Amino acid sequence: MNREKNAITDLEGIKVAHLTVSQDILNSTGDKASIRTGLTAILPYPMEKELRLFMECFNLRGKNESTGYEVVDDFCYLNSPIVLTNPFNVGVAYNAVLSYGFSLDRVEIWPPLIVGIDDSFLNDITVSHLDEKDILDTFYKASQGPVEQGSAGIGFGLRAYGYKGGIGTASRVIELDGRNFTCGVLIASNHCNPLEPSGGSFTLVVGVDMPLVPFQIRAIVKSLMFKLSSIFFPENPSDDITCIFFTTANSMTMGGEGPLIYDFQMIKDSHREEIVQAAKEAVIEALVNSLLKATPVQGREGRKCATIPEGDLATLIKTIV
Amino acid sequence: MKRRDFVKSTLIGVPLLSGESLLSGAKNKSQEAGLSADNRRCRLRDLGIKIGNLDPGPANAITDIQGVKVGHTTIINGKGPKAVRTGVTVILPHEESICEENLFAAFFNLNGWGEMTGISSLAKTGRLKTPVFLTGTYNVGIVYSAALKYLTELNPRMGNAAPLVSPVVAECFDDFLSDTMSRQISEEDVFEAIRQAKSGPVEEGAVGGGTGMTSFGFKGGIGTSSRKVLGDFCVGVLVMANTGSRDHLRMDGVPVGKEIKGYSYRTEKTKSIILVAATDAPLLPYQLKKLAKRVGMGLAQTGSYSNTESGDIILAFSTGNKIDMCESRPFSPIRACDDFALGPIYQATVEATQEAILNALTSAETMIGRDGNTAFGIPLDQVQEIMKKYGRIGDRIHE
Repeated sequence: MNREKNAITDLEGIKVAHLTVSQDILNSTGDKASIRTGLTAILPYPMEKELRLFMECFNLRGKNESTGYEVVDDFCYLNSPIVLTNPFNVGVAYNAVLSYGFSLDRVEIWPPLIVGIDDSFLNDITVSHLDEKDILDTFYKASQGPVEQGSAGIGFGLRAYGYKGGIGTASRVIELDGRNFTCGVLIASNHCNPLEPSGGSFTLVVGVDMPLVPFQIRAIVKSLMFKLSSIFFPENPSDDITCIFFTTANSMTMGGEGPLIYDFQMIKDSHREEIVQAAKEAVIEALVNSLLKATPVQGREGRKCATIPEGDLATLIKTIV
Repeated sequence: MKRRDFVKSTLIGVPLLSGESLLSGAKNKSQEAGLSADNRRCRLRDLGIKIGNLDPGPANAITDIQGVKVGHTTIINGKGPKAVRTGVTVILPHEESICEENLFAAFFNLNGWGEMTGISSLAKTGRLKTPVFLTGTYNVGIVYSAALKYLTELNPRMGNAAPLVSPVVAECFDDFLSDTMSRQISEEDVFEAIRQAKSGPVEEGAVGGGTGMTSFGFKGGIGTSSRKVLGDFCVGVLVMANTGSRDHLRMDGVPVGKEIKGYSYRTEKTKSIILVAATDAPLLPYQLKKLAKRVGMGLAQTGSYSNTESGDIILAFSTGNKIDMCESRPFSPIRACDDFALGPIYQATVEATQEAILNALTSAETMIGRDGNTAFGIPLDQVQEIMKKYGRIGDRIHE
């Protein structure tokens, strides 16, 4: 069962926004260059509040840059918008998150969590520079409403299973102890054909409102990755997957402003698999959504990316479910 | 491809200097600012203080590792609330293109309250694929963009036929002396630091990324040191020091921080230290991880206890194996030290780390920064007196 929007924004307080850029330019050598890129921002809580959420970041091969690594690794928390963009815009997006934090009436947002996703099949990646102001505007206009899927934001230049990929989202309700919890997923589906050397990567952002603590999140993410091994090609060394998993429960306050001792709740370990199962279902639905909602895009060097035909989608669903 | 063979940039939007490569020409800002003019400052050894038993390399610097180069851009602008005291330091890991010849590397997150980008890849692959950039906290995004432009120029195939590289950019928070929120660093400043990179003696103290840093209640910044070990091998350490409180400062075991009189100033908790170790001993990534942990022990000997809000992040790399990324054969030869021979290398690491941090203190001169905040250079006459009192200068006999 899903929530009303069937999106990651079904989680209380979560906002999403896209910045999509399509432009044909001449590069410095006079050659045609196609910019087919963008940025997708997930704001995990109302950013004017000063919260830190527990999170874990799993990464299979390290192909995707994800900044903020040290704090996640050691402190296990999230205090920033999660920004998905192409690797050449990680720096400017990082700077934009800082500017965004300075503009709000709060202590800084730091460290920014920026994930670099390679969209170079359709996008002339080395010339596709986003503007810091446009990124800032994207944060300001983020909304809790339905999420645009397919060829939107960073999804614009992405490709999966040889067809047009992009952004997908879905949610699930988890019933436990007489309460309804929510699991929301946003995916950027992107990977290469196993016969091609240029790499690809799935990026998953999973949020739940269940009370978890970091070692539990780590265990859940590992389980989830095993269950999802059918959606990508782990046997292809240039394929990668990144999963950012956070909980909106059990948050702490930034800057030592909160109590000395927090009273948290923690789920029983034996219920972890219910979360894994819900997350898996939502990821697969989000993945299918990313393919279904995508529109065809023509980009770099005239390359075309068509939408997945119904027959192929049916076969794919059989393989991955 | 040698650095001098850089092709002209093919990038859009990159500020080129009259059609030249990103890395040619231009002038040194730190010389302009007259930073090296303060002759009163010196290195720890010039005070007669030696740390440990091993001998340093010829420059007593990370550049004693063949091929390693260090460059700085120092930015000193204005006064009052808008004073900017920041910059960037770059460590170029070896002579050849780092994109084409990777080095084994490891990372140790002693206390993760800091940023070092590019680590997702480094931690998974055990390889360093980029120069290392050190700067102020809020400069990271700008330096990252510049680093990527530099790397694209170094390897124009990157992002097309060649895999992407995530640059390593690390930071400390320089806001006591600098209006750090204004982020007054440009991509050109980063290219300038790369152009300035050289082997031999390294400028220390309030230079490059260390310009606005404070450490142990005194002016901190960049420091470096090295040790010769196991015959021909060398371990070099370079730090950007912005950590520690004065009461805890120790030099060679002497509680110097408690003994020094005067020169106190109010400061917020000083934050973070980035430590980079290099060796030409052929070590594999897991061995470099062990070396990186020893860097943390060197830090401890200066009196730091790695406070919660100190991002103490350590990177170690070895030039002992160069992994040719263009190699098409399935097997390539590599070398590795015996684990049981690494003891002296660990000793060298701890000694060089301690001395590098102390060099940052003794080299850095007093600086007045944002809102008139003043960080005093550690008083060298007092340091010498205290070290004499504790028998560390003069007739000390090493065992």
